[in-house]
Amino acid sequence: MAVLHLLRKQLLDILIVVVGVSLITFVISHLIPGDPARLIAGDRASDDIVASIRHQLGLDLPLYQQYLHYMGDLLHGDLGTSIRTHRPVLDDLRRFFPATVELALAALLLSVLVGVPLGVLSAVYPNRLVDQVARTVAVAGISTPAFWLGLGLIVVFYGHLGWLPGGGRLGEGTEAPAPVTGLYLVDSLLAGDWAAFRSAATHLLLPAVTLAFVNLGVITRQIRAAMLEQLGQDYIRTARAYGLSHATVVMRHALPNALIPSITVLGLALGDLLYGAVLTETVFAWPGMGAYVVQSIQALDFPAVMGFAILVSFIYVLLNRFIDLLYRLVDPRIAKVN
Amino acid sequence: MLQLSRKLTRSPYRTLLLASALSLGAWQAANAAVPADTLMLGKAADPQTLDPGVTFDNNDWTVTYPAYQRLMRYKVENGKGSTEVEGDLAASWSVSPDNLVWTFTLKPGNHFDDGAEVNAEAVKFSIERLIKLKQGPSSIFPEDMVTEVVGPLTVRFTLKKPFAPFLFALAHNGASIVNPDVKDPDAYLASHTAGSGAYRLAAWQKGQALTLEPNAHYAGAAPSLKKVVIKIIAEPSVRRLQLEHGDLDIIEDLPEDQVQALAKAPGFVTTAYPSLRVTYLYLNNKRPPLNDPNVRKAIVEALDYQGIVDGIAMGKAQLMNGPIPQGMWGYDPSLPVPKQDMAAAQAALAKAPKKVSTLQFLYSDKDPAWEPIGLTLQAGLASLGVNLNMNKLANATFRDRLGSADFDIAIGNWSPDFADPYMFMNFWFDTANAGLSGNRSFYSNPKVDELVREAASISDVEKRKALYQQAQKIVVGDSAYAYLYQKAYTVPMSSTVKGYVFNPMLEQVFDFAAMSK
Repeated sequence: MAVLHLLRKQLLDILIVVVGVSLITFVISHLIPGDPARLIAGDRASDDIVASIRHQLGLDLPLYQQYLHYMGDLLHGDLGTSIRTHRPVLDDLRRFFPATVELALAALLLSVLVGVPLGVLSAVYPNRLVDQVARTVAVAGISTPAFWLGLGLIVVFYGHLGWLPGGGRLGEGTEAPAPVTGLYLVDSLLAGDWAAFRSAATHLLLPAVTLAFVNLGVITRQIRAAMLEQLGQDYIRTARAYGLSHATVVMRHALPNALIPSITVLGLALGDLLYGAVLTETVFAWPGMGAYVVQSIQALDFPAVMGFAILVSFIYVLLNRFIDLLYRLVDPRIAKVN
Repeated sequence: MLQLSRKLTRSPYRTLLLASALSLGAWQAANAAVPADTLMLGKAADPQTLDPGVTFDNNDWTVTYPAYQRLMRYKVENGKGSTEVEGDLAASWSVSPDNLVWTFTLKPGNHFDDGAEVNAEAVKFSIERLIKLKQGPSSIFPEDMVTEVVGPLTVRFTLKKPFAPFLFALAHNGASIVNPDVKDPDAYLASHTAGSGAYRLAAWQKGQALTLEPNAHYAGAAPSLKKVVIKIIAEPSVRRLQLEHGDLDIIEDLPEDQVQALAKAPGFVTTAYPSLRVTYLYLNNKRPPLNDPNVRKAIVEALDYQGIVDGIAMGKAQLMNGPIPQGMWGYDPSLPVPKQDMAAAQAALAKAPKKVSTLQFLYSDKDPAWEPIGLTLQAGLASLGVNLNMNKLANATFRDRLGSADFDIAIGNWSPDFADPYMFMNFWFDTANAGLSGNRSFYSNPKVDELVREAASISDVEKRKALYQQAQKIVVGDSAYAYLYQKAYTVPMSSTVKGYVFNPMLEQVFDFAAMSK
């Protein structure tokens, strides 16, 4: 019963957020001065043609009716048709979103693989060389514009060294693997297509490093702070008093406890990576949501912008709920309190 | 403790170094050479739609123009793109003495990419569909035009009133002839091609690349390029890097400073072609204080024209002397090229009945040149004691303000849809076109209305030219707009690419069938 109640509460929360986001996005989109019908028709089209397009798009209806129609369609899983691409928004999201997810996940993985050890070392040896380096890396990561770093990496690794491709998701002549998840690395592995896997991996490396570096600082600093807090706790002193080795104290006792608050940061970081991938995608010609959303905003393509906002907010809420559940798993005290 | 430290610090570095070393050999093939029968084109943005009845964007025409044929096409004369038209699908045509009935006979033997013949029914279907769709491109034709099939290869258009640029409109991308056998054309044509041009769309990986392959049923000679790949790369410096690296053969939309840097490297062509794309200022004739021609004249005189061309367009532009640009018939070489004259500006401003102390300059971020042009004008007006407020807006909002005449001075670019002075004179000055659709200065002069409307209704080119030149003198004297420059157009490409011909009417369009490597 308790689980059912919890599930119902979670679903209600998600519903409230999605409806709220859709309403805010809808109102803001329609408050911006500018006529999408005019943008489609071109500046030189007569008012009659613009009116005709406005009618075709349903933009001549009162605002509340447009919103009700939109929400009615949304309940049936229809996010509408993009004003700009003339394709169903859902198709466009299906096409572009997996590329962004693949990039964000790869970046998260890289930043965790580097950021967690760096944060631990930094806390274990405070104010020593490794800590100084970690802190410098963290500050550099937070303050380096992804755009600048991405271009620099392309110039070095593609332009000068020729080791890695200069953009895109797959090499010319490489067939995309049959879509299962939409993530080329996973799909090519599932298909056993090693050529596609290698091409996808080489194309993913630089954008993932760029995006990861920006995120690295946040993770390193979070782990460092959490570890320092844990290392000062009584149970650590007790563990040491029992004669446990330094490595055991750090890795078996302090780190798992330090990771608990870091779960929130990691979850939010993934959300930020989904949003933050826009600039990186532009630099690396990565066919994700970035260019699609930017062009949609410029074209006042309300259905596309709303589709993106609803999808990302939905994922954000789901991530948060997932993090809540993870908390309960890793720290039974939380479940007990609730 | 020391051991742990060593393990944690050394081992990952060693692994990383090893992985990097291994990867060097494995990833060397990242930039393999492009085969000679494949052309790689780098474009800044993915096409929006490929439906010729819907798209009004040259960026989409890169794909649609070579995939379809039209009744008319722009000529190539002595290896140069001309603004004159000739028959493409049309073998011959005739027009009634009152310029209302146009009859075309099609060349036999043209086929769509599924093998079906291009006939009069296909022409009727395509043109009627275009007009019925009522999207942007439908504005190139008179709305009440009637299309009839006279014979299998003969088609007739009947207009309600004469429309002089009719032949030029038939060379427009919107007048592409599509295969009528296509099922659900509105959905299909948005992301596929169904034409009789030299190429057809083979694949479109949205946001990544488009691949064109020759149309096996094309009536002309088989193209030497067996594959054209259009890669979407938003960042200009990455496009340039890929061109330099040999992964791309042609790139579009490179900022002028990067073009100049590329020009210094051997093996690349960065020719600057004179275009018909003009940059000019809208002076709001409708509301005070610019409804006074003296104030408008002061603005026109206060502009540092040469400074704008040299400093902002980096010398890759030509000053305009009136609304019709050089290269378009109707251009009047007798009109003087404008130059900054602060004494004349001061004198004109002194004649204004009320003192002008503040004006507003409206612009958006659509063109990076617009802001520095505004600043140049601001400096010029400051010495007249006029403060120019710079007002930057999002492009959609900017256009809204233009359409509702809510500005003093604004800036814009304009390129013609067909090679006829109608595109400048009738759009810019006819009172009936006031607003965003053309007359963005909201200029109104009954005499000019009469001249440009008459010029649009007769077919005698010499008479039309005389009428347009007469109207030009009036509008230049009235300082209806401030005419700045015609921007040069550059398509950086590898010197291995042969056969590219620039046509000022077809920016971003390539005749791939005539090109090779």
